[in-house]
Amino acid sequence: MFWYHNSMPASETLHEPERRPANFAWPRRVRLIVSAALVWHLVGLLVGPISSPPSILGDRLQAIYLPYLQAAYLNHGYKFFGPDPGPSHLVRYAIEMPDGDKIEGTFPDRKVHWPRLFYHRHFMLSEFLVGLAGPWEPEFDWDRQPLSPPQEAYVESYAHHLLKKYGGRRLTLYLVEHRLPSPQEVIDGMRLDDSRLYRSRKLGSFES
Amino acid sequence: MELIREYVREAGQGGLAGWNRFWFTPADPATLGLIRVMAGAMLLYTHLVWTLGLADFFGAESWTSPHAASLALADSGTYAWSYFWLIQSPALLCAAHIAALVVFALLMLGLFSRVVSILAYLAAVSYVNRVPGALFGLDQINCMLAMYLMIGPSGAAYSLDRLRLPRAADGPRPPAAPSTSANLAVRLMQVHMCVIYFFAAMGKLRGDSWWSGDAMWLSVANLEYQSWDVTWLARWPLLSAIATQVTVYWELFFCVLVWPRLTRPLMLVLAVPVHLGIAVCMGMITFGLIMLVGCVSFVPPWLVRWCLERGGHKRAGEGLGARVAQVSTRRSRPSVAGGRRGS
Repeated sequence: MFWYHNSMPASETLHEPERRPANFAWPRRVRLIVSAALVWHLVGLLVGPISSPPSILGDRLQAIYLPYLQAAYLNHGYKFFGPDPGPSHLVRYAIEMPDGDKIEGTFPDRKVHWPRLFYHRHFMLSEFLVGLAGPWEPEFDWDRQPLSPPQEAYVESYAHHLLKKYGGRRLTLYLVEHRLPSPQEVIDGMRLDDSRLYRSRKLGSFES
Repeated sequence: MELIREYVREAGQGGLAGWNRFWFTPADPATLGLIRVMAGAMLLYTHLVWTLGLADFFGAESWTSPHAASLALADSGTYAWSYFWLIQSPALLCAAHIAALVVFALLMLGLFSRVVSILAYLAAVSYVNRVPGALFGLDQINCMLAMYLMIGPSGAAYSLDRLRLPRAADGPRPPAAPSTSANLAVRLMQVHMCVIYFFAAMGKLRGDSWWSGDAMWLSVANLEYQSWDVTWLARWPLLSAIATQVTVYWELFFCVLVWPRLTRPLMLVLAVPVHLGIAVCMGMITFGLIMLVGCVSFVPPWLVRWCLERGGHKRAGEGLGARVAQVSTRRSRPSVAGGRRGS
């Protein structure tokens, strides 16, 4: 089990390395400039995560770091699968064609979107839409919650894309939420695609 | 008072020396070269898949209209640049896409690495900023690795650039020289991975299911993610809870325990089931693999060479030469990425 040592010969790594005078290839001035850039960058790495959810410090730092983080694509919270793995969302569409035919579909759809990464891209389209929701308004039920302005823009964008792609005359979009079953429900025989786990709401109708 | 002054003086000197040693010790570029191959392959595959929906995602009538994208990005400013916003013609879009694929292929192969590493980063960021609604963790890690590959001599090892170097009259090519920027690039990857894991854990700790132990169940019970049915976990709540807790604590303490040389192997070995579990059970193969590529930054260069060049020593002697050079470098410059101290 020598592989975790950073140097190869086991005999060497058994001893505390002796202290040697520093011997750097870069002159001190260069190291100073690079160090300043490093400090800027390393603080920047923290700005995205501490701003999600919003925080006082994060907001202040965002004001300074925004151009850098945005331009370098570093403004991320890194909250993978947090705070809780929740229900998934799909978008169902129904298109009326000029000749009266109807086309129905859903994204994501494993039967259509392959390979898996391509499926996941479409999955993210529907999840992203839900992520754009505004604050929950308690006077409305889930299926009547008003769409936020970014959500409206995305719904319109998705509708426009589908109408153009299929040459449709009219299109209606629905958001489908797929609840996660409890372990007991699965033990009792419920399948993951049981119809009781789904609920749906209309997002809007659009003309070409 | 004198004691405090002495402490501050020693802490300052020690901190400064440690900073310099950590960031500016020249290192063998073997680890960086290996990451270039793997990240380049992932960038190539990721963008090859975009080909299937190039017009749908990047065309004039794409899923994401400029208005929708600008609203989605409104909170974070208007600095999310992308050359795809300038492309309206399908032919030009196709040409730009093919050019990007060539760049990613060249990065993977290590040909003209210095130039293509910069082009690869610019291309990767352009793609993601054009489709803010279709992204996930894979894209963040792809761009992060591409950014740091620009900094170091990523083509100095395991590359066509290296094969293009002239051989000595009667011997092998000279070994790749230790490089400060190679160390810098790998260090930045390491620190960035620590930041990612730490905040991934912090995000999970805001959720009840990661405390209660239900989160693993909630992950595997999601049909849209599922690629391998492990709902039998419903009958094994303790197993599900252990897997949940191990994931959180592994992520939380990664930024500390990955540095001591005694705990580093444990942390890296644990990364394999965690990320392969995501890949196999939740269908996020690319995300699982790219996180493992990020973890490769913690593998010291000598180990990379030991794994990849054992057969090569007898054939050409080139790897052995590199090893000799590396050992001599280690003797003079202790380093985490290429040296001898626990890093």
